[in-house]
Amino acid sequence: MQITTELYVSSVLNKQVINPAGKSVGKLWDIAIVPGEGLPVVTGLLIKKGKKIHIASWHSVLLFNPIVVSIAGAIEKMPLYERQSDAILLARDVLDKQIVDVNGAKVVRVNDVKLAPYGKMLCIFSVDIGFRGLLRRLGYEKVWSLVQKEIPQKEIGWQFVNALEINTAGLTLSKAREQLAEMHPADIAGIISSIPRASIQNLLNNLDYETAGEAIHELEPELRTQIISQLDSEQASDILEEMPPDEAADVLGDLPEEMAQELLGLMDKEEADEIQELMEHEDDTAGGLMTSEFIAISAETTVAQAMEELRRQAEEIEMLYYAYVLDAQEKLVGVVNFRDLLISNPDLPVSELMTEQLKTVTVDAEPEDVLELLAKYNLVAVPVLEDDRTMAGIITIDDVVELFLPYALKRRRYPS
Amino acid sequence: MKLNKKNILMFLAVLGPGIITANVDNDAGGITTYSVAGAQFGYSLLWTLIPITVALVVVQEMVARMGVVTGKTLADLIRERFGVKTTFYLMICLLLADLGNTVAEFAGWAASMEIFGVSKYISVPIGAFLVWWLVVKGTYRIVEKIFLFSCTIFVTYIVSAVLAAPPWAQVLTETVKPTFSMKPSYLMMIIGVVGTTIAPWMQFYLQSAVVEKNIKIEQYKASRLDVVVGCIITDVVAFFIIVACGATLYAHGITINDAADAAKALEPLAGKYASVMFAIGLANASLFAASILPLATAYYVCEGMGWESGIDHNFKTAPQFMWLYTGLIAIGALIILFPNAPLVAIMLISQVVNGVMLPFVLIFMLILINSKSLMGEYTNSKFYNVISWATVLVMVVLTLALVATSMT
Repeated sequence: MQITTELYVSSVLNKQVINPAGKSVGKLWDIAIVPGEGLPVVTGLLIKKGKKIHIASWHSVLLFNPIVVSIAGAIEKMPLYERQSDAILLARDVLDKQIVDVNGAKVVRVNDVKLAPYGKMLCIFSVDIGFRGLLRRLGYEKVWSLVQKEIPQKEIGWQFVNALEINTAGLTLSKAREQLAEMHPADIAGIISSIPRASIQNLLNNLDYETAGEAIHELEPELRTQIISQLDSEQASDILEEMPPDEAADVLGDLPEEMAQELLGLMDKEEADEIQELMEHEDDTAGGLMTSEFIAISAETTVAQAMEELRRQAEEIEMLYYAYVLDAQEKLVGVVNFRDLLISNPDLPVSELMTEQLKTVTVDAEPEDVLELLAKYNLVAVPVLEDDRTMAGIITIDDVVELFLPYALKRRRYPS
Repeated sequence: MKLNKKNILMFLAVLGPGIITANVDNDAGGITTYSVAGAQFGYSLLWTLIPITVALVVVQEMVARMGVVTGKTLADLIRERFGVKTTFYLMICLLLADLGNTVAEFAGWAASMEIFGVSKYISVPIGAFLVWWLVVKGTYRIVEKIFLFSCTIFVTYIVSAVLAAPPWAQVLTETVKPTFSMKPSYLMMIIGVVGTTIAPWMQFYLQSAVVEKNIKIEQYKASRLDVVVGCIITDVVAFFIIVACGATLYAHGITINDAADAAKALEPLAGKYASVMFAIGLANASLFAASILPLATAYYVCEGMGWESGIDHNFKTAPQFMWLYTGLIAIGALIILFPNAPLVAIMLISQVVNGVMLPFVLIFMLILINSKSLMGEYTNSKFYNVISWATVLVMVVLTLALVATSMT
């Protein structure tokens, strides 16, 4: 059979299905689909006759449009649908459910589904999430069109849809998954905080550890703790390992001591030690805000060598803006910024261009002091020193901003 | 559950949804019903509060459990299970009923303020703006704290009951000893008391609040305690209102029509303070419910229809939500300000819609909560199902009777 037109699921669902003789064989109860090459394809129609539901395979469908749905063959001979089967059904599993609109970075509800021809098959083309789809489902599209000629339409292509529920996970397209991972972690966090908890795990499984870690760090502490404690320890420690150590320390610091220790135990020793060290500082001091990841070089290094060092460490480090010049005792002697490195003669030793007038804070400094320093000198990061002036870490401006950003500006619906 | 520091902290963390819902239930309509019940029948209706509390706990516990287990609101679940059409018509009905209820809340607010000599043309606009502003400009945390504080004001009813000096021994016997009368007015009053205690919006509101609070399964026991305590508080307040009115108005054969009448009539019988306390309680309850009801309605209508919702949004990002909320308050308040508005008819219609919808909501709930694929191991036990179906049955019979009697 050749399908020529696009059609909405709502226009065929619950329609009488007829045989070639024009007699009704039952009602269209649901539509079975499987993931196809690009888009999911329709494999059969579930037809309800009396109390029984039969499956008519797509090959037996003669006509399928909003006016007539007809099948060949005796309905009684077609296999019965088993409620326990794990088939994916359009009305049961997709219609009215929540999905992630990957392009719009939000959670929406499916009002209708548009099917489109694909060779001899029919595939899911897009989902309707707009007001028009809602009216169509309710049967008021025509009535409303008397009031408003152009009813706003909102559809998203299936390739931009990420299913939330476990039983429709098989339908998630790899393309949607890639796009999900490319979303900004703050947007992903927004989605995580607006979907049912049971779906969060499913969503996280679609992300690589690094993206998952960044998204989790963006959440309110309470929800963050909940999510980490619901993951299995292996997955949680893998995600934490991919996070910058200061963020991992934040997350672990909110967990019960036992669980934090268990997760630390599962991590790479070096990383775990670094995180543990950061966790020992009080939350509301410079030590609690800092990260131990920074670029350290010695004074004798040439500009060329320093650039090489930067390139080598760049992947590991969150904030690349300054290189810190340390002496043999790890005491801070100077700082050099990238701009200066870029425009200087490669053979020059770093000591020639570094700033020795240092703006620093100590590990027990108040966050307010750090903010003041950053603002006063227009810095993007400030070094944190131990009492003996050895370098402990740096505080980057994003962490300070986050701390001082008024509560009112943060997501408010999801209180901690 | 053992009483130790960890468990107490856990309880305090999840405290809120159950207690707030139950207290909104004691709104202007509820207080009116209880006052009239006390004035008309003395203590003879007190015994019904025990079975009502049980029914309330059963119904509310189920929605709290669904919220915790699925992380979805009742409107979400109904939409996903029963489709958009069912949800749409259910939402339309809820909207109508809640608009009627909101009118009743503003009527209660206006009446209580008039006792203090404030004209309704001043008190209603101020009250409406206050509740609107609180939610639109406040954050969830602050709003919840204000609501929790507001719950404590219900203590005023206990004070006014004590000041009315009832014969406590008789009150206690009447509470545990069922008495029954086939008089139509008595039956009507029982139905009224039951109907005002279990209303459809409460199930939607409680489940949304539980989801919003992100309560997880491990905290469920504490959350259930919140629900149970809330239900008990509701009926304790109802108890004291009935007692206060029974000890004074019934004893002196004074008939009243609404809660403000009760407050005024208490003065010569139980003293000025009892009267003032009663009026403060009514003012608080009305304003409290006038902010929660429109809010809850906007939430579940938007959830059901798939529109953006949440008090952190504005008119641009969640237009339907904000307009629903604003519209309910504005229309509710305007109707009160309208001279000669058909208040009684509006409240009656909302009562009927409430009653007609309750059985549907309860049956949807029972289908959902017994679904294995949804609730896993947290479906109802057999025993629980028997109790809840019986509750549904009694509620259906009583509400049908209420609807039938309101219509005639």
